[in-house]
Amino acid sequence: MNKSTIIQPLNPCDYFTLAMDEEIRKEGMPGSLCGFAIELKQCPDIAALKERVAEFSQRFPLILASLQQHKNRFYWCQRESEPQIFFQHKCPEAENEAQFQQSVIETLINEQQSREQLAPLTFHLLYGETKTVFFLRWIHPICDAVGIGLIFQYLCTDNKEQRQLFDTPKSEPLINLQLKKYSLWQKIKLFAKAHRYISSVDKLRSIIQAQPLPPQRLKLSVYKLTEEQTQTVAVLARQATGLTGTSLYYIGCLMRALEKMNPNQTGDAYCVPYAFNLRKQKAMSPLLGNQVGALFAQAPRDLLDNREALFSHLKQQNAEVIRQQLDYAFLPVMWAASWLSLEKHGENLRNSYTHHTERSSCLFSNVSLSDLSSQKLFGCEITGFFHLCQLSSPPGLALLTCHYQQQLTLSYNFIEPLFDKAWIEQLHGFMLQELLAE
Amino acid sequence: MKEKIRRFIFQELIFVAEPEKFSDDDNLLDAGLDSMGIMRLIMFIEEQFGVTLPDVEIDPDNVHSINALEQWILRHKA
Repeated sequence: MNKSTIIQPLNPCDYFTLAMDEEIRKEGMPGSLCGFAIELKQCPDIAALKERVAEFSQRFPLILASLQQHKNRFYWCQRESEPQIFFQHKCPEAENEAQFQQSVIETLINEQQSREQLAPLTFHLLYGETKTVFFLRWIHPICDAVGIGLIFQYLCTDNKEQRQLFDTPKSEPLINLQLKKYSLWQKIKLFAKAHRYISSVDKLRSIIQAQPLPPQRLKLSVYKLTEEQTQTVAVLARQATGLTGTSLYYIGCLMRALEKMNPNQTGDAYCVPYAFNLRKQKAMSPLLGNQVGALFAQAPRDLLDNREALFSHLKQQNAEVIRQQLDYAFLPVMWAASWLSLEKHGENLRNSYTHHTERSSCLFSNVSLSDLSSQKLFGCEITGFFHLCQLSSPPGLALLTCHYQQQLTLSYNFIEPLFDKAWIEQLHGFMLQELLAE
Repeated sequence: MKEKIRRFIFQELIFVAEPEKFSDDDNLLDAGLDSMGIMRLIMFIEEQFGVTLPDVEIDPDNVHSINALEQWILRHKA
């Protein structure tokens, strides 16, 4: 690597996602690719969209960079020639449009490319006679999901002056700003607190429902609830976990649904990691880079029989995490871990200190796109949305939820052959029963 | 009290271009205060003002604005 080509180093949160990229690649899979699929009512003006994407890449050339290693550190570096970042995928007339789109999306998310070669963010317009999807694919160290939401908002913003407001005020990575608030001793105390927390989580062996098989391909099953079902879920979530716990309601329902799939699977508890964003709500800065921390929702198996006890436990656990500042306690840990080799970092992220087995029962993420409800992409109405991500095996399973325009969408991402479509369909049946308290 | 709450909200939780124009009655939930933000805000209030705000009372009526928050705190301080 030529050091003069460096545009930017990775921040400690980027390393956290890069370590997972390495873990996924070690398993012969494509790395930490993620995607946002935005369903549109019509096909937008393709030339205008392409131009806006080009304008975006000129303003944020990081999305054209190559991820390269120098000794133990990683950097976004300039390339000799710019990669193609805008692609069109037209459905052949004879093909079923929905199947075509699902197949293209699954192909894109399973595409194998080296880190150096891969364009960090690419834009894909999938269109046919009746269906259009705008798909953004990215590799996780470039950005988190909230950042991708901001990028999409940028593309939707027709007013040039308004577009200038994105990524302002200029800010350094939020993990660094947060860490600067603490003295060295406070950082050490937080580090010790986070270590104690992880050790307590690791006392219980996580239940993993995946088949012990080598991973082959990420697949996707997306289910959209009706407005009526979504409304019922919202009321029940409010009753079970209150105004502050919608995500915890989804996680609790998922734990119970997984348990119903195989109550005899070995393990003591379900452990579901989830990320929280360090950006202020509605902030337009920082746009790129990962600005996230990690938390865990964990519930012992013996609580799963009783919905009320389970939700009460998850809520209390979450309140305790915030009360004790365990969310911020992970930040010095992430900083320290960023100096480890990717292999060691990945091992610490995934493996239980006590049992030396996978810590995560499955992954969970909830994205809210309320800011998009009044947006259009070049005059085209946004009718729906789902997201997807590559993941390590095990757990080989992620549930990514999204609430958009009175509809809850559940996107199950699973690795074949650890899981198959029929298994996921059955899981969703149980999940629906749980969400609707049937 | 309101000033401390206001400063915490705009420094830590929500981005508003001109916070001075955000009135004490403006809706914090519409402005982007999310579940994690509400939890952080409650922890801040409990620590700063020495009150305990019961979980069962965490609802939009009590957290939708800076004035509503103040009223909620005062009911428990009394």
